[in-house]
Amino acid sequence: MPALPDWFRPVAEYMLREGLPETLRLAAIAVTASATAGVLLGTLMTITFRPLQWLIRLYIEVWRGLPILVMVLFIYWLPNYHVGPLHIQTEAYKSAAIALSLWGSAQVAEATRGAVQSIPKEQHEAAAALGFGWVGRLAFVILPQALRRLLPPMVGLLVNIIQNTTIAFVIGVNEFLQAGNRQFENLTYETGDGHPFMIFGFVLLIFFVISFPLTRLAAFLERRLI
Amino acid sequence: MAALWGGHSCFISPMRILASFEWSFIWDNRDQLWGGFKNTIKTAAIGVAGSFLIGLVLGAVRAHRIPVLNQLAWIYVEAIRNTPILVQIFLLYYGTPELGIHFETFTVAWLAITIWGGAFNTENFRAGFEAVPPRLREAGYALGFTGFRTFLYVTLPIGGRIALPSSINTYISVLKNTSLMLVIGYPELTSVASNIQAITFRTFEMFSVLAAVYLAIVWTLSALIRLLERRLALPEAL
Repeated sequence: MPALPDWFRPVAEYMLREGLPETLRLAAIAVTASATAGVLLGTLMTITFRPLQWLIRLYIEVWRGLPILVMVLFIYWLPNYHVGPLHIQTEAYKSAAIALSLWGSAQVAEATRGAVQSIPKEQHEAAAALGFGWVGRLAFVILPQALRRLLPPMVGLLVNIIQNTTIAFVIGVNEFLQAGNRQFENLTYETGDGHPFMIFGFVLLIFFVISFPLTRLAAFLERRLI
Repeated sequence: MAALWGGHSCFISPMRILASFEWSFIWDNRDQLWGGFKNTIKTAAIGVAGSFLIGLVLGAVRAHRIPVLNQLAWIYVEAIRNTPILVQIFLLYYGTPELGIHFETFTVAWLAITIWGGAFNTENFRAGFEAVPPRLREAGYALGFTGFRTFLYVTLPIGGRIALPSSINTYISVLKNTSLMLVIGYPELTSVASNIQAITFRTFEMFSVLAAVYLAIVWTLSALIRLLERRLALPEAL
């Protein structure tokens, strides 16, 4: 195996120290927010009350229908409209987190609706016969079973969100791809050779190392739990 | 919560947005936006056709476990599905000149989404073909069909039907991913709108154009999926 060139070590260190934590933090925020909002909306959608169902359906279809990049840009553009760009760094990070959470919550809501409706009606009736109210039925009987079925798609969502955090690159968040790109530009400026193939190949490799075990886990859970 | 998000908040009143909304602004930029729309459709059309072909061929390879090709297809699918498409675009656009290959932005645009969509479509078609019961293939062999003809006349029509809805979902993603070509400066709809926004700050006008176009296409295709699921449903359970 050929030895790594001298320039590589500081570049990789910068990317792993500065970029990767930002990527993981963004993904953690987005996944937490999507799971919370998504499970709530998906459960609410199983109530037979048409206006509410339509509203949530609209929410899901809009955020799933738009490219995430368009949502990121729009939310990032918003403050420019009246307030002016304050705290660019915070704003960009915040915009990306909100856009990813909106997209993710729509995915989770749809999956939750499916999972809750896949629980047989008899479970509802049995719980009602035991004297549970609507909240008790959901909280102690339906949701524990539904959440189990929701676990594989949740892991899939985590993989998707980790990969989609790279879109925050566009508005200047210093996530992993951005960190790599900055190093690429630095090297090009200082030495004339940016080594793009190796730097972006390294970005690709790290994302693969993170995602591959998770997709295996999702496939495993799907076989085991259903 | 406010502290977590950086302290300040902005409130944008809907009335102020409506009052300052100018439809004429969209009309004034119609040529640029129309050009961007055409580029988006052109790129997406190539991407859809390409990922259909890749998915069909590699899906068949995976489902029939053709040695060597099956393993290569598996590596391709896992490598693409487990890495962000934006990084793939960067590698194609900035990385390939180092290997002596120079792509135009348009080439990178359609190539990137074709490679990406092909990987996802391979899995769709593989699942579709594998859902065809072995006894139907055996019936094909019993009628004297060769392996290829059995695929063409038995596995493909039935498995393709099963794979169609999920493959249309992949085409929807392929279309949405054309927006990422903003990063390499290919003038498709999102990057045209984003450029106009950067100069003029007409955020709501530009966003409403993007939202209307993408949602119109995506929702039409989703409706098509539901229609096909009803129309092409197999007459009886296999």
